[in-house]
Amino acid sequence: MMPLILADTGEEAIIKRVGGSPEMKKHLEDMGFTVGGAVTVMNTIGGNLIVKIKESRVAISREMASKIMV
Amino acid sequence: MDKQLRIALAGNPNSGKTTLFNKLTGSNQFVGNWPGVTVEKKEGKLIVDREVILTDLPGIYSLSPYTLEEVVARNYLIEEKPDAILNIVDATNLERNLYLTTQLTELGIPVVIALNMMDLVKKAGDVVNVKELSRQLGCPVVEISALKGDGVADAAKAAIEAAKHGKTLPQHSFSGPVEHALAHIEEVTVHNLPEEQQRWYAIKVFERDEKVLEQLNIPAGVRAHIEQDIAAAEKELDDDAESIITNERYVYIGNMLKGIYKKKGKGQLSTSDKIDKVVTNRILALPIFVVVMFLVYALAMGTSIADGGIAIGTFLTDWTNDVLGGAWLQDGSRAILEGWGAAPWLVGLISDGILAGVGAVLGFVPQMLVLFLMLCLLEDCGYMARIAFIMDRIFRRFGLSGKSFIPMLVGTGCGIPGVMASRTIENERDRRMTIMTTTFMPCGAKMPIIGLIAGALFGGSTWVATSAYFIGVAAIVISGIMLKKTKMFAGDPAPFVMELPAYHLPAWGNVLRGTWERGWSFIKRAGTVIVVSSIVIWFLTSFGSVNGQFGMVDDLYEDDAVVTDEYIAVVADRMGIPEDEVEPMDDSILARVAQPVSVVFKPLGFGDWKPTAATVTGLVAKEEVVANFGIMYAYDDQEGEEELEENGDQIWDRVAEDFNAFSGGHGQLAAFAFMIFNLLCAPCFAAIGAIKREMNSRKWTWFAIAYQCGFAWVIAFIVWQLGRLFAGGVNAIGLIVALVLLALLLWQLFKPYKEAQKLTVK
Repeated sequence: MMPLILADTGEEAIIKRVGGSPEMKKHLEDMGFTVGGAVTVMNTIGGNLIVKIKESRVAISREMASKIMV
Repeated sequence: MDKQLRIALAGNPNSGKTTLFNKLTGSNQFVGNWPGVTVEKKEGKLIVDREVILTDLPGIYSLSPYTLEEVVARNYLIEEKPDAILNIVDATNLERNLYLTTQLTELGIPVVIALNMMDLVKKAGDVVNVKELSRQLGCPVVEISALKGDGVADAAKAAIEAAKHGKTLPQHSFSGPVEHALAHIEEVTVHNLPEEQQRWYAIKVFERDEKVLEQLNIPAGVRAHIEQDIAAAEKELDDDAESIITNERYVYIGNMLKGIYKKKGKGQLSTSDKIDKVVTNRILALPIFVVVMFLVYALAMGTSIADGGIAIGTFLTDWTNDVLGGAWLQDGSRAILEGWGAAPWLVGLISDGILAGVGAVLGFVPQMLVLFLMLCLLEDCGYMARIAFIMDRIFRRFGLSGKSFIPMLVGTGCGIPGVMASRTIENERDRRMTIMTTTFMPCGAKMPIIGLIAGALFGGSTWVATSAYFIGVAAIVISGIMLKKTKMFAGDPAPFVMELPAYHLPAWGNVLRGTWERGWSFIKRAGTVIVVSSIVIWFLTSFGSVNGQFGMVDDLYEDDAVVTDEYIAVVADRMGIPEDEVEPMDDSILARVAQPVSVVFKPLGFGDWKPTAATVTGLVAKEEVVANFGIMYAYDDQEGEEELEENGDQIWDRVAEDFNAFSGGHGQLAAFAFMIFNLLCAPCFAAIGAIKREMNSRKWTWFAIAYQCGFAWVIAFIVWQLGRLFAGGVNAIGLIVALVLLALLLWQLFKPYKEAQKLTVK
């Protein structure tokens, strides 16, 4: 298990755990970051990530991405 | 007569909701705010049936209570109980979009699904079994293309039909332990609620939704009993209640889609991804961004085409100002009114008061329209979301969002649309902060002030103008850092997650409508506020009491019986000027009021009635500051001289002399403090009106104005008092107070800050 920020760009990974405060966790889950779901890092810039989750592209800050374990 | 039907339009952000809303309602829209919050509320009458009201809910992912948009949407659905929900679903991203649908179907309100972007799905070779989808979800599904308008009318008709006769029951169920707990909850707590809403409430109680628990006010004993069931389910499924529900929804959707959605190709990069590889590339992102912003700025507000630039906006604005505003409106109206034999005061009121003020604002309209058009284009094609993403890391450091950049860019043209542009910021805290700080940027109307001060006292030095921009940016950064450490702005952790819509060619209908909406709102606001305030200021400068007689000061001064030599001596003494400089305006209400008010500016070095009056009239429009200097420093354009230049260069000598006189020889310092105060203090009335509308709260509006004025005063005070350390003539008390203020400022700036993790949404 490793945080999403360490995942390779372009490689599909499976979400193992979503951490963070309950609010943050719920918001991430609402947007599709659920355990067992696939996520792909598309791009990184200054530590922030663009990921593919379900069929959408989501920009996510480094702090939040470090709470998502894959 | 039947009661009026109400339908709510709900869906994810970027699902084409706005486009569909526009297609369904045409031009029949009313825009406002949801009560008490700054989230925009749009309603309209359906084109297919004018009797039906469609309410556009904010774009949301879920009905959880964590973002303001979600709270607004679910309060509306639960409390107002619309007759039907039209749920727009992006067919290219079914899984995520149907997550909201599963929640909507629990509300006991008939749901109709508008399946958008089916054309794209088909183009990709994918297949969606719409019939089966409809059967499994238990509600009608209509295929549409919001962009092209295909199927839109059918969707509206289906929604009306559902509103009249429909009924939607949730088709999905949760796993054993969850259903067990839900059954218990329904039995003991929610059985007295309307039957169709019971399931939704039960699920929310299971999720320990704070708002719902508060609302239901469950007795402690019952609460403990339920808590056992929830805890048992959590233990069995090894997760917290909220996540259990979320996961089970997604699992249910995933299973359902297996038989419904057939994907053809897999895995290759879409065009949008390829663009992103370049545009959000770690090296290229910033340069591309700078070029785009430069183009936007150059086209709207840069050097006019007439002067060899590329700015269409500036060209049109120059024309409006010089020809339409100055020549036609002002001079034309004067000629007509005088031709009719109207009383001089009426000519003055209409031509110099109202039309001059309105003209000044109208001049900005073309520039603003060009700017809005380009911003709408950027937004519609999907680049705006990327800007926020690229800028976020930088702006986050001083408590603002990446989305605060656009308002500030627009603010260098005019503060009103700058404030209005803050509307795209979803987070309420970031938005309020942006609204409060945007007008620190030196807008177009503040440039003459800078020109006047630089010319009159600094020999036209360019560093004065440069410093003005620097001061504006510094004020934003300092305010951001200071404010985010206060209680008012702490609270919301505001982490950055944001969906990036796929790039697409702009839909011209949306772009033009957006441009016009913002432009019209600008004209309307500026128009009404400016008319009223122009009348007031005109009255204040034209009327007054001269030697006990009230009337137009110009007329009264013609009468030697009223204005005796002794009286002139009295006025000269009151204003502290030589007798031969006494002029009618010295007896105007404005001068009388400004004289005592100038005490406020004494500690800033410009405690004289003239700069005071100029500052006060600057509230009407910042151009008024220089215009008033022109009047007050007796620039006489009656004698065939050319008109006062925008930067007032004909009065530079007199201004410099006067500033040096009342500041005890520190004219430069006093003038600089004057400039700082005018740059940072409350913006013009029209911009204050914009602040009030966007804040949607009297309290916050006053707070913003008070903060801006207070901040301006403190900074100007520090500059003036500390400046005299070097210029000479130190005032001991002033210096101590300035040092204390400076220390407080620095302490607030550098004190450690811990971002609160608790989120409060009212």
